[in-house]
Amino acid sequence: MIAAYILPAVFMAVILFASVRKVRVYDSFAEGIKGALPLVFSLFPYIAAIMILSSLFEASGLSAALERALAPAFSFLGIPPEISSLVLIKPFSGSGSAALLSEIFAEYGADSYIARCASVVYASGETVFYVSAVYFAGLKRKTPAAPVVIALVANFLSVLFGCFICRVL
Amino acid sequence: MNVLFVCVFLVSSAAVLIAEPADFLPALLSGAENALTLGVTLAAVYTVWLGFLKIAEDAGLTRFLARGLRPLTSRLFRTRGERELGYIAVNLSANMLGMGGAATPAGISAMNLLDAAENRDYAQAMLFVVNCVSVQLLPTTVISLREKYGSSSSYDVILPVLLSSALALVVGALLVRLILGRKR
Repeated sequence: MIAAYILPAVFMAVILFASVRKVRVYDSFAEGIKGALPLVFSLFPYIAAIMILSSLFEASGLSAALERALAPAFSFLGIPPEISSLVLIKPFSGSGSAALLSEIFAEYGADSYIARCASVVYASGETVFYVSAVYFAGLKRKTPAAPVVIALVANFLSVLFGCFICRVL
Repeated sequence: MNVLFVCVFLVSSAAVLIAEPADFLPALLSGAENALTLGVTLAAVYTVWLGFLKIAEDAGLTRFLARGLRPLTSRLFRTRGERELGYIAVNLSANMLGMGGAATPAGISAMNLLDAAENRDYAQAMLFVVNCVSVQLLPTTVISLREKYGSSSSYDVILPVLLSSALALVVGALLVRLILGRKR
């Protein structure tokens, strides 16, 4: 796969370019690394809070109940009911939605319509609550609601649109 | 976020209590455990990427990238700050190339710098929303997972993924502009 070559090429090109520009590459590298642990320490409380919440949410079986409740609405909108739990888990948990995606591939086959829809749902959205924790964590004021709602709406529309494209393509 | 946390926490807890009360603490602990594992992974990821980004920055590549993308970014984020636009440029390009490890630290640096901007609510919301719609050019995770499950045409999701990401990007950016962009 070509993608595997991109990363090493980028690294080599940048390091080569930097040494041509007389950058002390080793010192720069070490200098940059200094910020890594402080960054993780500042993010950790927020990541932990979100992940504990999403673990509780998954354990509660609420997603199954919600799934049953929302299935008619979802299929009316063109979302196959088989992927509704993926749609619901996606904003909360990256690992949870990756596990669901594998299950869907295993159960319906990786080339089925359902698997294609699931791929689009997984790849065209993000774990919005996790990203919000990470991006707004360092700021002094509390996380504003509007951007989170906008991101959820945009992701949901992309789910609808993605399922629609998978049907016509 | 606080309201949401309380709501989801209480409703989920109630549901756990009805179904299987003994699952309550294990669920919390497994979440914390996942967070620790992720924290260790992130520490490794950021160690590599922050070191690499510093090299790129010292070589003047970030500035170069920022200048190239400025016509787009300064309009989208309505900011002129040299350093903010530099981090935003790194964040956007790393996202597109699927280098999440480089995108996040750059995005956080941009968020912190934007905190001092006068239109910070708008610019920060825009950066967050753009990072939530996943503008990756090649959805590598999905493609390799499909191949693992025996797909014969693992690449045929690229177009639907790109189209729906693009739709999410346009909708998200428009909504941010409509809702938060007026107060200038």
